[in-house]
Amino acid sequence: MTRAWLFPTRSFPWLLTALFFGLALIGLTVPLIVGVLWSLVNPHAGWFPPSLVPPSLSLDNWRAMFSVPEMGDAVVASLTIAPIVTVLCGALALPTGYALGRREVPFRRAIEFLVLAPIIMPGIVIATGLGSMFIRLGLEHTLAGVILVQTVVVLPFMIRIMTATFEAVPQDLIDAARNLGAGPLSLTGRVLIPLVAPGLFAGGVFTFIGSMEEFVLTFIVGSPDIRTLPVLLFAYLGGRSQIFTYAAVVTIVLLAPTILLLFLAERALKQEYLAAGLGKM
Amino acid sequence: MAQAVPARVPLLDRPRRAARRRDRWVDLGLLLPGVGFLGLFLVVPLAQVFLRSVGLAVIGQAGRFTWDYYRQFWAEAQYRDGFFFSLWLGVASTVLSLGIALVFSALMQVRFPGRLLISVLYKIPLVVPSLVAAFLILSLIAPGGILARLVFHWGWSWPQLVYDRWGWGIILVQVWHNVPFMMVIISAVMAGIPQDVIDAARNLGAPPWEVFRRVTVPLSMSGISAAALLVFIQVFGAFAVPSLLESAYPLALPVIMQTEMMDRANWALASALGSVLTIASGIVLVLYYRLVPGRGAVVR
Repeated sequence: MTRAWLFPTRSFPWLLTALFFGLALIGLTVPLIVGVLWSLVNPHAGWFPPSLVPPSLSLDNWRAMFSVPEMGDAVVASLTIAPIVTVLCGALALPTGYALGRREVPFRRAIEFLVLAPIIMPGIVIATGLGSMFIRLGLEHTLAGVILVQTVVVLPFMIRIMTATFEAVPQDLIDAARNLGAGPLSLTGRVLIPLVAPGLFAGGVFTFIGSMEEFVLTFIVGSPDIRTLPVLLFAYLGGRSQIFTYAAVVTIVLLAPTILLLFLAERALKQEYLAAGLGKM
Repeated sequence: MAQAVPARVPLLDRPRRAARRRDRWVDLGLLLPGVGFLGLFLVVPLAQVFLRSVGLAVIGQAGRFTWDYYRQFWAEAQYRDGFFFSLWLGVASTVLSLGIALVFSALMQVRFPGRLLISVLYKIPLVVPSLVAAFLILSLIAPGGILARLVFHWGWSWPQLVYDRWGWGIILVQVWHNVPFMMVIISAVMAGIPQDVIDAARNLGAPPWEVFRRVTVPLSMSGISAAALLVFIQVFGAFAVPSLLESAYPLALPVIMQTEMMDRANWALASALGSVLTIASGIVLVLYYRLVPGRGAVVR
């Protein structure tokens, strides 16, 4: 895995350390610190150029979370939609993942392509189709509509991860359970589901994060009535007047759980799940 | 001359055929939730996009086949320029990200102090939504951003990197976002290159740079092509980041589509522009499958 072939000099590894940590400092740490500072700016004093640090700090922007209705609503909307999308994806992907992973299904190539399509297609094109379709169905600007469009773009990740997980289940275990007299129901409930639980968990994490972060389709189908956190962030960053302070608060609210989940799920999110999610690697 | 007697279907085959037929129904039942959902909410709307782009299935008016919307796309400068601007963003972001990701992936193969921590840290941008990435980079490089303030203290002026004609701010956000994504794919392939091959090249006297250029990169081609494909298609069709960081003209094609849809309710033109976007991405995908033969294709 690790090799020292590239530049055999002795000090070279330390140069690499300096390079990568320097980049992490400029590319990750500084922007995150600046983001946190923006969320703590005292709105009465502001933070104008050329000062490098805000003149005074306060928690006013964080209190806005509860006093400004649009922010509270966005948090509620995001935290309502994401779990529903996750459960819906799990329910839809379990049987389909089983069929793709363990059975010889007809038209496999076409089905795999269909599952790959939402991952590589531009979201705006899918939004164009679904937006007009949902206007006809009366689903535009509704919670149900947003849940359905988000499911379209995150379901493929779940199906791919479940397919890879079912493929990896050893046939011996299934045969043994059958020989010991397990019927289809207890085979599913007591053998298969526990065996694929890690994959289901990883897929759930992926789906939850994907739903929390989905923007284009939610924006086009849901706004202005249904506004999730990314849609609100877009409103704060675009438009005539940027509201950096509120944008920073939304950014942190959006970022903290995903980074936390990434670290918590580091073990579960092994390369193979990442691989199944992002295309075969 | 005995007439060939048609072989009779052995009795044994009948239950087997029935079982096979039953299996097909089981397959269908298992596939239906996932595939049926995608069929209903992906294939149907996309088919409508294509129909609408040629004047059929338009909401609230009688359908009539026409190429007018495609003609309009090519005739009016704002749409054409939008297409080429998106193309430029896609190509520039892909080339820059790929160059950086290649070098970094190769360097990550070397053992250095703190490598484990870096290998976790560099994956953070993977889970950062592109809007958050836009905000973080904006707070860094905008005219009032922290870097502009920093160089002001030293008496320098900061270049215009956002809201500019060539979309450098957009490209910077995309590079920040996609270098880690490419590194995940490319370093996985690089780690699989047998050590013997590299040792052989070194023993034959190749300097490190030559080994990188003539051995490592060619042997990582499957990962490189897949990463480049995915990043190009994603940036080419990106809406959020260009919408926030572009200048007034030209607008990226997805941004134009969104305006046509939500502000002017011109779904037919938006559908034609969407079809153009899809066809262009499709051509790139077909080229990829052509150039990367069967087994080597990483995106499947």
